[in-house]
Amino acid sequence: MACARMVKHLRLPLLLLLLALAAECNSMSPPEKPDKLGCRSPDKETFFCWWTPGSDGGLPTVHHLYYKTEGQENMRQCPDYHKAGSNSCFFSKTSIWVEYTVIVEASNALGNTSSDPLTFDLMNIVKPFAPENVTVVVNIEDSPHLTIQWHTPSNIDTKSGWVTLKNQLRVKPDKSKIWKNYASETQTHFTIYSIDLGVVYMVEVRCAIDNSWSEWSNTTFVKVPNFSRKDNSFWILVFSLCLIPLLAAMIILILKRKTVKKYILPPVPSPKIRGVDVQLLKSGQSEDVINAMLLNQRFPVMIPWKDQKEDYLIVSDKETSYLPLEKKKIFILPLAMALDSEVQSKETSEVDHFPKDSESSSEESSDKTESSQLLTKCSSANVLNDEKANQLKGVTEKIFQPFGICGYVDIPRHEHMQEADYSRVNEVNGDNILIMKKENIPHTLDTQGQEGSVPDNYSMVKEVNSDNVVFLEKHSESVNASFKAKGYIDWVNQKPKNLHMTGHSEMGVCPQLVGCEYVDTVPPPAVI
Amino acid sequence: MAQRRIRGGKLVMVLCVVAMCRAVPINDLIYRASQQSDQLHALSTMLTQELQGSEVFPIDRVHACHTSSLQTPTDKEQALQVSESDLLSLARSLLQAWSDPLVVLSSSTNVLPYSAQSTLSKTIQKMQEHSKDLKDGLDILSSKMGPAAQTITSLPFIETNEIGQDKITKLLSCFRRDSHKIDSFLKVLRCRAANMQPQMC
Repeated sequence: MACARMVKHLRLPLLLLLLALAAECNSMSPPEKPDKLGCRSPDKETFFCWWTPGSDGGLPTVHHLYYKTEGQENMRQCPDYHKAGSNSCFFSKTSIWVEYTVIVEASNALGNTSSDPLTFDLMNIVKPFAPENVTVVVNIEDSPHLTIQWHTPSNIDTKSGWVTLKNQLRVKPDKSKIWKNYASETQTHFTIYSIDLGVVYMVEVRCAIDNSWSEWSNTTFVKVPNFSRKDNSFWILVFSLCLIPLLAAMIILILKRKTVKKYILPPVPSPKIRGVDVQLLKSGQSEDVINAMLLNQRFPVMIPWKDQKEDYLIVSDKETSYLPLEKKKIFILPLAMALDSEVQSKETSEVDHFPKDSESSSEESSDKTESSQLLTKCSSANVLNDEKANQLKGVTEKIFQPFGICGYVDIPRHEHMQEADYSRVNEVNGDNILIMKKENIPHTLDTQGQEGSVPDNYSMVKEVNSDNVVFLEKHSESVNASFKAKGYIDWVNQKPKNLHMTGHSEMGVCPQLVGCEYVDTVPPPAVI
Repeated sequence: MAQRRIRGGKLVMVLCVVAMCRAVPINDLIYRASQQSDQLHALSTMLTQELQGSEVFPIDRVHACHTSSLQTPTDKEQALQVSESDLLSLARSLLQAWSDPLVVLSSSTNVLPYSAQSTLSKTIQKMQEHSKDLKDGLDILSSKMGPAAQTITSLPFIETNEIGQDKITKLLSCFRRDSHKIDSFLKVLRCRAANMQPQMC
């Protein structure tokens, strides 16, 4: 009885249970086969596979991966289901250049379902991860450039040579659509120079193992600044620094323009006449001009050629009697001689020594060649009193023609010339013109004799003033008899170097330049 | 006496040149060779991808390649244990094994669909050129490395007639694998030779 009651009681729940079970059993099924199998090796050593599970059929489903390599018979199970995440399998020990076959099986209480097999070679599934830590630095100092650096993906063994990485990067301005690719072999840095200022650039990097490229890295954005401030200020500084010395130079030039002008255009030397005051000339006083000219003359005013009788200063050498007469080469030029231009040119070579007149005697001695030239110039036509000259035996004449007018001292032609071959200063004209006339000198003057008084009509040279001025003493004092006895008038050149001691020096010719009183006969150079 | 000196001088010079010549270019040769092998592998990869339309799969029964009989290392550890001479020998053998098949391939392009023909012939021509360059370089390299490097395993290619399309794809897959082997071996060799220059690895 009790059993029957229990069954009655249990019948309903059992029935309910059976119904429930029946209901559930209708939605359960074996799992769907896993899908989308994939495998990848990021380092050419290990690889992992993944799958997408299908529906589990309402029952807890377990997935198993089985693989085998070529040449093996049995499938082996995945060694590691966890390392690579869920629904994945990680293989740490692999073979290369062998064919793998992988299958994933989903199983639940109701059954198993296997995926399609996947066959691959390790070399085919090699694909590294993208490079890490990509940094881009903008540098605009010298010339704008981007410096890009990155790290190789981790866990890749490049040291043994088993893995060789190649790198590639690409850059584009954010508004452009075209990427520019650059190859970088094994180095993990790169510099790009061709960038524009004021643009935002996008940079991506990827790497490859054995020609199998990774994905592109995450994009890095950089903005290139618009202008180089340092660049500008540098040029401003350079410009201003250059400007300051330029301005200073200009100011100096303007202030010192006269000096500059003198430097650039030096004044042209104008001819100067010694003693002639240009300013005086300019002032225009004619008298002064003439005086100035005359005073400073090197070339005194020409006097007309006197054809007949010339005024000579007759000088004779008493002591050596005829001898000097014969050989006499006397040339004492009248002061009033105009210089020939040619002679002038020759004479100008001697500075200040130029024989105006009085000095010419001494000059000539020192300047023998010149005199000889000059003598030759003086043609015989200019010799006066030729007949007289011939009268004297062996009397040589020295003909000196300096300028075109020969002026010369003639030797007296008559016999008693010896006795009286002095000329008398006739007139003193001006300061520096002596006109001497040939006169018969009173016989009282015995030139040959050593003794005797100086005739009255001698005047002594008091002073040789300048180059061409002889001051004669107005009084006739008896001077040193010995000197006078010679009857010389010494023309003494003032210039010490032209001082010559003639052969008469033993006669006591005064060697001094100034204060000598006699005119000496100058031995002529190279004449006859 | 002077002549002897001159001769001696010349000899020294020649020795110096030879020594220098020997010392320097091995690294350069290896570097150049690895570049060539890389190019070759890239070409073959591109070709197979184009023809098969997929990057990775499917691979046909590559274990039936005519070069399968050659024993090569099967993983990284094994490969790193192979000596340089052996690595070079393996590379040369594989390279030698493909000179004939490439010729056959180049003459068999007409069986392919028209669109693929020009690509195939151009690429195969380039592969032949690279292969020839590499072969010459490796010959020189092996002469410097001793007798072990000189041995070449003969891997004859039997087919001489035109082959069908399926054979072409299989052949191209085999070539892809073998070119990868060559490339890997040479890169390992390159890294070993450049001990002083880690940037070469």
